[in-house]
Amino acid sequence: METMRKFERVCEIVDRNGRNPSRLIPILQAVQAEYRYLPEEILTFVATSLGIPPARVFGVATFYSLFTLKPKGKYLIRICNGTACHVKGSMGLYKTLSDKLNLGDGRETSDDMLFTLETVNCLGACGLAPAMVINEEVFGQVTSQRAAAIIDEIITREAQYESDSSRIE
Amino acid sequence: MTKEKKLSITIDNRKVAVKPNITILQAAREHNIYIPSLCTLEPLPSYGACRLCIVEVDGLRGFPTSCTTPVDDGMVVRTDTAEIRTLRQEVLKLLLSEHPASCLFCTEHDECKDYQGTIRKVGVTTGCRYCPNDSLCELQTITEKIGLTETSYPVYYRGFPVEKSDPFYDRDYNLCILCGRCVRVCNDIRMNGTLSFKERGKQTTIGAALDRTHLDAGCEFCGACVSVCPTGALSTKVSKWYGKPDGETKTTCVYCPVGCELLLQIKNNETIDVFPNYDSTIDQGLLCVKGRFAIPEYVASPERLATPQRMTPLGYEDISWDDAIDEAAEKLSGINPEDVLIVVSPQLTNEDLFVAERFARELIGTDQIMSVLITDMREETVSFLNLASASSPFNVIDTADTILTIGFDSTYGFTPIGIKIKKAAKAGVNLTTLSVHESNLDIVSGETFQMNVTKWPALLDSIMGKMPGNGKGTKLKPLNKVVVIGAEVIFSPKRGAVFEKIVEMKDRFGWKVIVAHPYTNLMGLLAMGAFPGIKRGEIVSDGTKSTGPAVEDPLSAMDLARHRKVVYLIGEVPFENLPECDFLIYQNALSVKSTRKPDLVLPSSLFTELSGTIISAEGRILPIRKATDPYGKSMPDWQIISKISEKIKSGALKYSSISAIQTDIKKQVKSLSDVKKRLEFRKISAKTSGKGRTGKRLSDPKSSRKPWEEKYRGIALKDVVSGMLVIEERRRHE
Repeated sequence: METMRKFERVCEIVDRNGRNPSRLIPILQAVQAEYRYLPEEILTFVATSLGIPPARVFGVATFYSLFTLKPKGKYLIRICNGTACHVKGSMGLYKTLSDKLNLGDGRETSDDMLFTLETVNCLGACGLAPAMVINEEVFGQVTSQRAAAIIDEIITREAQYESDSSRIE
Repeated sequence: MTKEKKLSITIDNRKVAVKPNITILQAAREHNIYIPSLCTLEPLPSYGACRLCIVEVDGLRGFPTSCTTPVDDGMVVRTDTAEIRTLRQEVLKLLLSEHPASCLFCTEHDECKDYQGTIRKVGVTTGCRYCPNDSLCELQTITEKIGLTETSYPVYYRGFPVEKSDPFYDRDYNLCILCGRCVRVCNDIRMNGTLSFKERGKQTTIGAALDRTHLDAGCEFCGACVSVCPTGALSTKVSKWYGKPDGETKTTCVYCPVGCELLLQIKNNETIDVFPNYDSTIDQGLLCVKGRFAIPEYVASPERLATPQRMTPLGYEDISWDDAIDEAAEKLSGINPEDVLIVVSPQLTNEDLFVAERFARELIGTDQIMSVLITDMREETVSFLNLASASSPFNVIDTADTILTIGFDSTYGFTPIGIKIKKAAKAGVNLTTLSVHESNLDIVSGETFQMNVTKWPALLDSIMGKMPGNGKGTKLKPLNKVVVIGAEVIFSPKRGAVFEKIVEMKDRFGWKVIVAHPYTNLMGLLAMGAFPGIKRGEIVSDGTKSTGPAVEDPLSAMDLARHRKVVYLIGEVPFENLPECDFLIYQNALSVKSTRKPDLVLPSSLFTELSGTIISAEGRILPIRKATDPYGKSMPDWQIISKISEKIKSGALKYSSISAIQTDIKKQVKSLSDVKKRLEFRKISAKTSGKGRTGKRLSDPKSSRKPWEEKYRGIALKDVVSGMLVIEERRRHE
C-alpha cells in the first residue's frame, strides 16, 4: 500500500513534466523535495516512465551533489566551509553540532532522522561568515552557542509537535 | 541520383577533394593523414571527449577538435604543427595522470623483455603483467605516435577493485580513461543502455544503474563495450592473457540462422576470441553473446573428442580411423534400408548435409533422414517449415510501419533483429509485443501483451480484425507489416493454433514473417533434401510460381517407436525420442553425457576448423572459413561419411575436397549456383495420406516438456561455456 502511494506521487510529478526525458533534472528535484532523497525504486520508476535507461537516471542523480541517494533528516544543516567561513572557525561549529547530535565517523544523519549535518564549499555568503543554512533558512555569524541554541529550539518545537499530534489521535 | 559535389580543402599543405558533411578527422583519415584520437570510433557519432584530435584551422579561433568540426569549402587545416604537438602531449599527460603508465614509460621497458622467458616447463612469463591489453592497446600506440616518453605528473591510482563477478568479461576501471566509447556503443548502437557515467570529477567511473552487476542491470553481454575499449579496462575473461592474436579469419556464426559475420582471432592455431565486423551487411556488427563469447570455450572444450572410440565390455578404447571406418561400414553395408535411421543436425554445413543426404538416399536407400526439428516441432513440423521458408529478409523491419513480435526476446540472441526493431520503435513505428514472460522489447513497445499462449490465437484474430480491407473494397496499398516470431511460440506445445493464425496473417493480410528459430542451417538442410519427402533442390525457387513438395507428416512417417539395427547420428546427441537400436554410431565434436552409450564414436571437426557454406534464414549463402587445424584426429563430417561410403561401395560418394562437393551441389541444385542472389523458397504443403496416421505416436514426449535451451550440435551451450550457464540461470529466474 505504502509503495502504491509512493508511485502515485511520482507519477504526478512525471506527468506534470510532460513525461519529457529532457526534464529529468526538474523531475528528480521534485522527487527529492517529496522524499528528501532519491529512493532506488523511484529512480528505476522514473527511468521507465520516461523511457530512458535507469543507468542514465542514476548517472544524473550521482553527478549533482544536490541529489542524494541516501535518506536525509528532516532538517538539513549545511555549514559553510568556504575560505572565509573556515577562517572564522566553521569547523569548530561543525564539531560542536556533530558532538551535540552524536554524529561523526561518516555518520551524517541522526538516528531519529531529524537532522543531517553536512559541510558545503561556499554558500556565497562570505560577509556573514561563518554561515550556516538549515533547510532554506540562512544563519550568519553563527557562534557555537547560538548554533546549539537553534538546534535546541528545533528539538523542542518538534517534541511539542509530536505530543500535539499524539493528543489529536 | 545526383553526384555529390566535392569540397576542396587543404590539409597540411595538401589540396584534397572531400565529400561534404563529414568532419575534418574523417576527411584526413580518408586521405591517410594521421590525426590521433581516442574517443572517436566508427560507427559512433562524434563526441569530442579526448581532445587529442585538435587541429589548427585558418579563420577559427583556438584549436578545434577535428572530430567535431565539419569540413567547409576552401578550409585550410594544419594537423601537425609544433604548437599542436606540445598541446597534444600535454593533453595526453593529463589523460595518463589517472592511468597506470608503467607499460608506457618504464625505463626498463625494453631491457626487461630479454629476461622474461623462464626454464620452467609451465607457461610462466616474468615481468610486469598488470594489464591484459599490453601490445593491443590503442593508448600505447597513440603515446608512441604522439612521442610522449615520460610524464611530469604523478600518476593517481584510483584503487577501484577489479569487477569480476559478471560472466564473460572483467572490468578494471583503474585503467579506464573515460573516453565514453563503451557508454556510447551500449546506448547508441546496441540501444541497450546498461552503461552510463557515474559520479563526477575524479570519482567518475562507468557502470550500471544503482551499482548493480551487469547481469542484474539487464546487460545482453554482447561484448560491444569490450570490443571498443581502447585500453585494458574491459577484457574478455577467456582470452585476456593471450596477448596479441597472430591471425584473423572472417567467417559466419553457426549458432543461429541470422548468419552474423565473425572475425575469429587466432593465436597458436587456436581460436581465442571473436570480434564483430561493423562493416557487415548482414548484422552490422551487432553480435549476440553466443557469437561474441561462446565460441572459444566450445571449440576448445575439454570434452572434445580427439580420436575414434569403440565401446568394449571394459569401456571405451581409442581406435584408428581405419578400424573405425571399417566397423561403421561393416554394420551399414548391405543393410535393409528399413533398419537404419540417419540423424543429421540442422547446424551442419550445406556440404555435410549434401553428402549425408546422398549417403542416405543413394547408398543406404532410405528416405528416413531424421533431424531434431521433427521431434521438436512434432505434428506442427510442416507448418513450421512453411513459415520458416517464407521468412522475409530482416531489412523489411527498416521499412515497416507496424511490427508485431510474438514470443520473441532478443536479449541473448537474434540481436541484429532486436536492434532493428528497437530502432524502428524509437522512430515511431507502431510496435506490439506479445509474450508469456517479459520481453526485452516491451520497454520500447507501444502495446505490450503478457499472457498464456492459449489466449494468443484470439488476440491475433482481434489484431487481424483491426486491419483494413478484408478482401473487399478498394485495392490496398502494399502493406508494411512485419511479424517476428520467437522461441516462446516455436517451443510451446500450443504452437499449432498460433502458427495457423500467423499463416493466415501472411497469406490473407500480407504480413511479412520473420521466424527466429534456432536451427542454423535449416534452409540448407531443406535445400539439400536432407529431410524425408523433400528432394534435393526441390524447395529452392527458380523464380517461377511452381509449388513446392507435399510432405507427409514426418513424425508419423518416421515411426520412431520401431526398433532399428543401426542409428547413425551426425552432429546430434542421442535424444529421448530415438528408437531402440543394436548399434549406435555417434559422430560429433564433444563427448556425450547420456544414458544411451554409443557403440562407435567418430570425432568431427567444428566450424572453426573447416570450410563450407550455410544458408541463412534470409536465404543468403554464407561462407564458413577454416581458421585453425582440426582438433586432434577429428575430421569434417562430410569427410567421415565419404570415407564410410567409399568402404561400403568403392567409388561411391568419393570426395577429396570441399570444392569437389560444391561443384557437385551446383550441378545438382541448379538454383544454388548464383551465390550472390538471395534464395527464395517454394511453399511446402502437408500431404494428407488416406491411411491417416500409421506410425505410433510417441507415448511420453519428454523433450517437449523440457524448457528450451541454446544448443549447438545437440549439446547445450550452458554445459560447455561457463558464462552461458550464468545467463541460462538468469533466464530461468525471470
